[in-house]
Amino acid sequence: MKNSFAKATVFTLIVCVVYVYVAFVITEISGGAKTAATAKGVNPEAGEALFWGKGKCWTCHSIGGRGSAIRGPNQEGLGARAAQRAKERTAKTGKPYTAEDYLMESHFNPSAYVVEGYKDEMPTVWKPPIGLTPDELLAIDTYLQTQGGEVNVSALMDSRFFAALKKEAGNQEAIVSAWKPYLPGDPGKGKELFFDTEGKVVCIKCHTVGKTGGKVGPELTHVAATRDAQFITESILEPSKVIASGFEPYLVATKRMQFITGIKKNETPDYVELLGKDGTLHKIPKAEIGRMAAQKTSFMPGNFRDVLTVEEFHDILSFVLTLK
Amino acid sequence: MLRRLRIPFLTSGLLLLFIIPALAQQAGPADYRTFFGMDSRLAIWIIAEVHLMFGAFVLGVPIFAVIIEIVGAKTKDPRYDRLAYEFTKLLTGAYGFTAILGGLLAFTLFGLYPKVMDYLTGVFGDTMYTYALLFFVESTTLYLYYYLWDTMQARKGLHIFLGILLNVWGTILMMVANSWVSFMMAPVGVDPKTGDFVGTVWQAISNPLWMPINFHRLLGNIAFGGFICGAYAAVKFLEATTPEERAHYDWMGYVGNFVAVCGLIPIPFAGYYLGREVYSTSAVMGNNMMGGAFSWTFIIQAILIGGLFIGANFYLWIGMHRIPGSERYTPYLKYLNMVLLVCFAIWLTPHNLPLSAEEQMMVGGQYHPTLKYLGLMSGKNAVVNFMILSTFLSFLLYRRANKGDGIPFSQQGVGAKLVLWGVAAVCLSILGWYARSLFQLAPASMDLSPDKARYFILPAVLLLIQMGGILVTVVLTLINRGKMAQLLYLGLAVLNAVFILGIYGYKVMAVANPFLRNVAFAQWMILMTTLLFVATIDLFLFRRAPIIGEMKWGQIPAYSQYVLIFLCIWIVQLIGLMGFVRSGLRENWHIYAVLKDTSPGSWTPDNFLMAKMVSICVILFLGIVSFLFWLSQDRGAKTVIALPEQKESPSPIDSLSHH
Repeated sequence: MKNSFAKATVFTLIVCVVYVYVAFVITEISGGAKTAATAKGVNPEAGEALFWGKGKCWTCHSIGGRGSAIRGPNQEGLGARAAQRAKERTAKTGKPYTAEDYLMESHFNPSAYVVEGYKDEMPTVWKPPIGLTPDELLAIDTYLQTQGGEVNVSALMDSRFFAALKKEAGNQEAIVSAWKPYLPGDPGKGKELFFDTEGKVVCIKCHTVGKTGGKVGPELTHVAATRDAQFITESILEPSKVIASGFEPYLVATKRMQFITGIKKNETPDYVELLGKDGTLHKIPKAEIGRMAAQKTSFMPGNFRDVLTVEEFHDILSFVLTLK
Repeated sequence: MLRRLRIPFLTSGLLLLFIIPALAQQAGPADYRTFFGMDSRLAIWIIAEVHLMFGAFVLGVPIFAVIIEIVGAKTKDPRYDRLAYEFTKLLTGAYGFTAILGGLLAFTLFGLYPKVMDYLTGVFGDTMYTYALLFFVESTTLYLYYYLWDTMQARKGLHIFLGILLNVWGTILMMVANSWVSFMMAPVGVDPKTGDFVGTVWQAISNPLWMPINFHRLLGNIAFGGFICGAYAAVKFLEATTPEERAHYDWMGYVGNFVAVCGLIPIPFAGYYLGREVYSTSAVMGNNMMGGAFSWTFIIQAILIGGLFIGANFYLWIGMHRIPGSERYTPYLKYLNMVLLVCFAIWLTPHNLPLSAEEQMMVGGQYHPTLKYLGLMSGKNAVVNFMILSTFLSFLLYRRANKGDGIPFSQQGVGAKLVLWGVAAVCLSILGWYARSLFQLAPASMDLSPDKARYFILPAVLLLIQMGGILVTVVLTLINRGKMAQLLYLGLAVLNAVFILGIYGYKVMAVANPFLRNVAFAQWMILMTTLLFVATIDLFLFRRAPIIGEMKWGQIPAYSQYVLIFLCIWIVQLIGLMGFVRSGLRENWHIYAVLKDTSPGSWTPDNFLMAKMVSICVILFLGIVSFLFWLSQDRGAKTVIALPEQKESPSPIDSLSHH
């Protein structure tokens, strides 16, 4: 068998290709995005995005039937339970506790109160490696308040634990460097790439800048005024990680088992309008809908790191950062 | 040809290694730089991974070679000695490549990530010079070991000592490098307010993940060396033109597979130890590993490890056909096969499957009503134990395939009885110690309420039952019912470690979750003592047993050799995947929770990108290794040693048990 080595080589390549394919399939079915909603500021929507994303809360806690973690307590109904827990804390410490104090203390010092049956192992999430800011923690607490309670941001901010948190967390910033792109990029070249309808990335086909562009993705005319460079970079390289609010793809399964995907542009008691990837608007009567669910993979392609060189990526980034 | 190339390879590599620490002083003010317009992290990934693969090669192959040399010296079988020599010959070139890649890695790291390397040099500066010096010492030992092989045939003990010394240097070298990467995951001696390193070098070295990573890599290297040997033998078998050559390389492939599986069996436990320490070091990192961004990577890991177990068993089963007498056992193989496949399927069942609306409608909810339980840790622990016990049983069947009944145990003299009681005493002590500690375990040590102590009783009682099983097994063996005793004890271990504790684990997860790790440890105790105890009985059961027929080395189907090649590719892929996990767990931190990665490449790659990158590394590595194999061939000279009449039992352990 003179060709044995060649056969072994071909076999090796086939095994590697099969392995890569398996990883591809697994990546496809596992999605990767942990949230389909994002928002900035202190509100339950931002808190939800943080809970199921950057905050990593979901790796220990579930909420009702959402998530599967069991290391920490299921947080369904926490908004209602917090008041009872506050009473327990008052009785134990002799100091007055409100429901908001209890929630804030749980993040400021997780060891202060450990739910029975669970280990005292919750990390201090405002410290590295997670490093949530005080505002992000406020947002998470408002989200938790929606679990059976009422949102009360001002009461959270009045908590003595929030004041302590702000003071302590401020020191963390000194340790961790701010993010910055490592090439300046050429905004002129970036603009050409951005508007090139025959080019590698055809951004303008989906995004509007000024009066030009498509509607499938968010408008970017003033994006740099509200988003920082790190967020924009992540949005380009990992578009499914955080999908802009209002641009979550939906899948509608009709009762005749037809499947239609698109961004929900309008919803009335009678029908739903989905904007397809190709720009087609589908108007679907609600009577025909069997089920409708938000999807976790963005319409935006996730392969820009493969199609763009490092320089081209920074050119586009530098252009987008001029859109203020 | 190799002899001409090895000196320049090694010299240039060593030079690179020596000048690297000095480069840290010349690093400019930039935090990050690019690599020929390419994402610098991808460049580092490829260079580091291929370097690590060569590192595993030059550590794994000497371990393999010296084990084989010792077996050869004990059995006086020249085939083992030649096999060990054949592989040592490869090392000289491989060392050169390892050193050059190490130098290149250091250059790129210092060039592309100056800020990180400046920090690490500040912590580990002196150890970096020590590392280079150790490499020099190790290379010198290798040259002595290789070039004095024939000269020292009369002083074999001293030569084996050189081989062991070579492995000692290699292991220390690995441990030094491990201290750097484990520090990046679990830094100690760092001022949390400033991020400055204020500890000692030893504190930094002996960080909590250092030893777990050392154990894990050492065992991995043994398995790796064995599978590399298997793949080499497979290619040579396929190229062989004479029955003698085929017989030689068939035997070599078998030995490689045997050594690899011996290294493979304890790896899941080393992995468990490492995982537990990761959790203890940082719950955030631990959760991210098994329940977060890397949970699906561990499904791929299950595919790789499951593939190794199934492949190694499959190869053994194909090999049974060349053993006269094996037909007595082949009807049982299909059951072992079924067990392995079912366990494999359970192992790679995910718990958390992000389903689309369409899929949710088909399943009836976010989780499958039954399959969701298979994705939990308790189920996975159980099936891993079952796979290992099944593989062990495969080896037992293979080993006895061509043997009749040996000398009855009662006639084997005092020595055999002493050994049996001695091993039983060791196993009883281990199980008894852990049962006692479970009875005395304080629930408060796990933040559990006192009433949870009742959940600690069942595992402790099962350990006591297992101890009772040992005593019964010893008695049965002493009255010449050894085979029945083995079967009973293996059955008891499966019942306790797989079924009862596997199912009980779900209960524990629901009511006393922190105790699950103790349940897993009890399962591990039962398993390891079972392997030790049953293997000991087996050695005596078939001692000087009559041989039913000669082993027909070389009479194995060609496709079996592709199984060996597959195992080699699969373990190299596994090494690459684990490297990705180890590095990726730090997420956007160069040094976890101390020095943040602020480069644009700080995102966590998905599994598809990981598989592509690692596959590139695997192909590069196997390509270079094939080149080394080609260089090392003695052209025009056949090195095959004709097989002596093979009447004895087939494994290296068997060979030793006869002397």
